[in-house]
Amino acid sequence: MNILETMRSALWSLQSNKLRSFLSMLGIIIGVAAVVGIVSVGLGAQSSVLDMVSALGSNLIMISPASTVARGGSVSGDAVDLFTVDLANHMQETVHNMSLVVPQVQGSGLLIYEGANLRATLVGTTPSYPEVTNYHVQTGRFLHELDVENATPVVILGSRIAENLFGQANPIGRELTYVVGDRRHSLTIIGVMESKGQVLMGNYDSQVYVPISYAMERILRTQTVSTLMAQAISAEAASTAVGDAEFLLYSRLGTTDGFNVTSQDEMLETMGDVAFTLQLMLAAIGGISLVVGGIGVMNIMLVSVSERTREIGTRKALGAKRRDLLMQFIVESLALSTSGGAIGMILGVLIAKAVSDFGGWATSIEGPALAIAFTFSALVGLVAGVYPAMQAAKLDPVLALSHE
Amino acid sequence: MNVMIEATKLTKVYQMGDEQVHALRGVSFAVQKKDFIAIMGPSGSGKSTMLHIIGCLDRPTAGELFIEGLNVQEAGGNKLAEIRNQKIGFVFQNFNLMAKATAVENVELPLIYAGIRKRERRQRALAALERVGLSDRIKHRPPELSGGQRQRVAIARAMVTEPAFILADEPTGALDTTTSGQILDLFAELNDEGNTVILITHDPTVAQRTHRIIELLDGRITRDSSRNGVGA
Ligand SMILES: Nc1ncnc2c1ncn2[C@@H]1O[C@H](COP(=O)(O)OP(=O)(O)OP(=O)(O)O)[C@@H](O)[C@H]1O
Ligand SMILES: [Mg+2]
Repeated sequence: MNILETMRSALWSLQSNKLRSFLSMLGIIIGVAAVVGIVSVGLGAQSSVLDMVSALGSNLIMISPASTVARGGSVSGDAVDLFTVDLANHMQETVHNMSLVVPQVQGSGLLIYEGANLRATLVGTTPSYPEVTNYHVQTGRFLHELDVENATPVVILGSRIAENLFGQANPIGRELTYVVGDRRHSLTIIGVMESKGQVLMGNYDSQVYVPISYAMERILRTQTVSTLMAQAISAEAASTAVGDAEFLLYSRLGTTDGFNVTSQDEMLETMGDVAFTLQLMLAAIGGISLVVGGIGVMNIMLVSVSERTREIGTRKALGAKRRDLLMQFIVESLALSTSGGAIGMILGVLIAKAVSDFGGWATSIEGPALAIAFTFSALVGLVAGVYPAMQAAKLDPVLALSHE
Repeated sequence: MNVMIEATKLTKVYQMGDEQVHALRGVSFAVQKKDFIAIMGPSGSGKSTMLHIIGCLDRPTAGELFIEGLNVQEAGGNKLAEIRNQKIGFVFQNFNLMAKATAVENVELPLIYAGIRKRERRQRALAALERVGLSDRIKHRPPELSGGQRQRVAIARAMVTEPAFILADEPTGALDTTTSGQILDLFAELNDEGNTVILITHDPTVAQRTHRIIELLDGRITRDSSRNGVGA
């Protein structure tokens, strides 16, 4: 009996038991769909996270006080005090591998314009902010040195804020009110930023930007800044710049605890690692469900062998060799699992598509992932089929024929 | 060569725990081409055991068996399967058809194991079904056929390979008297056409229509009509 006949008769046998075949495939279908879906979503998420990190700016270095768990997650006192505008200026002057160091403070409050109001994150910063973050004004202008020197009450709106408050109208020159606690600040709009979309740590488009001096002295009333964003002079200089900054902070603090200096490359690396680990874990879960599916297939094959004992006896009486029966059941098991694999693949792709269409997540369907999932399902079918097939092949024909 | 089967002192012993069950205690006989034999005897006398051994489904504990001059004892598992496929046609009391396959697919089955191509297979299966008078039922599945029709399909399946002999274990055991008669007519016709047929039966009227009766009792041949009639 040749392989083509064996395949034909295997498919025929599965077809004549459609519901059961489907049910026993279910484990494999779910396993493969899970692997394909999860890996696609995972790969998509990974690349979009990496995009977000890249979108932060170019050769960016983030310098901030570290939150120490020992103090209940609050920021270490000494380090916080160290983060001032002066530190930013000092760093810019002394660290030659950094072309720009931009201090930044953040606060949250309510924007009011003619009865409409909107909660917004306020960012106090300096004129170099657009260059470091690679994020520029769309209309009007960004901050000038004079705005910082004089602490002028001006504001640049994120694109979404502008759209929500003003729609299509031109907001430049208008006044809005920013409320923090019981203090009201009247701010003149001088610009609107371009749209940047979601980046790693929030959405730039729903922030507003004011001179750092005004933000610190008048709005937030603080002496310290939350973050320094620096730009290395080149990609190659980035790690040296990180070292320089760390040394500078160490010489001030006398310890390496209490602050974080992270280059964009390091962020990319960390994010990549996290995404990879996550994906591996999810794929492993999918793999486990494949194995469970394989056990399902094996179970159904064992049931099939035992309830077709008479058929097996008859086939032997008609001249089937051990090899024929071995092949018959292995091919049946393979047909089950690969059909399940194929259905699962389609389902997984559909899931990934649904996630990207309705969830707005990026997904990435990769050929190798599909191939691996399918191969794995075939492998599972092979392994699951061997034992039942051996049981069938070694049946004694006389006993098999007299089986009730 | 006219000797189809030559059995010498076949014994079969089943080990049941500490006990030995002697199903056959030295059975010797020869079957000629075109023989039409009924094997009779009370339940448990070893009829099926003997049929299984000469059908190469089972091996004797001792004794010799030649089929068309070939020593079965020396054949391995694959060779036995080949002998069953090419030289032996089985008919069972409970038909043993594939319930989900059509009549013609059922008849084709042994030809698949013989490695015969699809077109020829189909032709030969159709011819066999025509021979048993079921040309108008080729697409029916066993559950859609009467008992007699099912047994005809089984007979077509047994003879489609043009075997050396047909073995039937109580082929009419599950059928009513009229249908039994028709199935027996079919066996008789097949025998007239030159086929060797060996069947087990409890029914003396069935046995009477054969040319030779072998009677078993407790694993021994107590009567062989050919010895009495021809050989003695
Ligand atoms: N697999 C087996 N294991 C043990 N004993 C067996 C086995 N098969 C048959 N026997 C015994 O061998 C003896 C002969 O059995 P066999 O089936 O050949 O009888 P039979 O003549 O065909 O009977 P029946 O007319 O009832 O079919 C019986 O005593 C039976 O119990
Ligand atoms: Mg019997």
